[in-house]
Amino acid sequence: MAQIKQDTPIGTGFAGKPKKMSWERLWTFSGGPFTAQGWPKKNLHTDTEFARNLGLPTVGASATQYLGHMTELMIDLFGDEWLRHGKMSNVKFVKLVADGDELTSKAKVVSKEKEDRKIRYHLSISVVNQNGDDVLIGSATGWIPAT
Amino acid sequence: MAEKKSAHLMGIGEEFEPLEFVVTPELNQQYLYAEEDFHPRYIEASGEGPPLVHPGILFNMSNNTRSPSFFLPPGWGEVHAAEETEFLNPATVGKKLRVTWKVIETLEKRGRPWHVLDIWIVDEEGVQIMRRKMTNTFASLNIEKKGE
Repeated sequence: MAQIKQDTPIGTGFAGKPKKMSWERLWTFSGGPFTAQGWPKKNLHTDTEFARNLGLPTVGASATQYLGHMTELMIDLFGDEWLRHGKMSNVKFVKLVADGDELTSKAKVVSKEKEDRKIRYHLSISVVNQNGDDVLIGSATGWIPAT
Repeated sequence: MAEKKSAHLMGIGEEFEPLEFVVTPELNQQYLYAEEDFHPRYIEASGEGPPLVHPGILFNMSNNTRSPSFFLPPGWGEVHAAEETEFLNPATVGKKLRVTWKVIETLEKRGRPWHVLDIWIVDEEGVQIMRRKMTNTFASLNIEKKGE
């Protein structure tokens, strides 16, 4: 059931559940299929030494892992139909996400417009870490049917 | 065998080798754990067909590092800096998906190479699933040391 309704006002904010970027989840996301030989594959998302050799202080989570978190929030807001029409734009990854960070996806309605039988919503989106720092910023668009 | 071209040297119009893959229920559930998202739409078949593929797999498998031709020399890394995504249709478990990558823009900023990729995921029936524009920059310890 979509959380955004026809009468959702501009300025309304939403948040997903906080998610800890544990080693288990980093490896499971970025280490390749469990069936691959030598799992998890060593890369800058899964291996501290690999990341340090690139000058990073520690591993950095794949940005696509928390793009997935944001997509979960968008589907919560607009329903499964978002997978047929949803857009995320001007997304920028502005800070490293390290192992152990806790991330929360957020969205805020910035405008809405009626189009034929739809109401299109424009949202500002962000993912913040446990310190309140943005790690992802951008915008998203989705619609719900107008009745 | 032809030598692979480093990703940071690829020019506008060049393409990475496409990737074809099938999302099995087991692979899907691997990503459900990774994403901490256990919604039944990704686990149970519905009247419309098999379970849906979790979007996290679509994102991860369409990173250009997944291309069979992706190559960077030792000491180099690719950093995902920006993104545009259009969701076009849900993907379903069991279907073969094909990912293509084309370089559509290259630039140099602060001494580092950057590129923008046009990425499509299409299923075995030609249904468009997702389109991405992915902006990457490349880091190498050699570049960072020169900048010191």
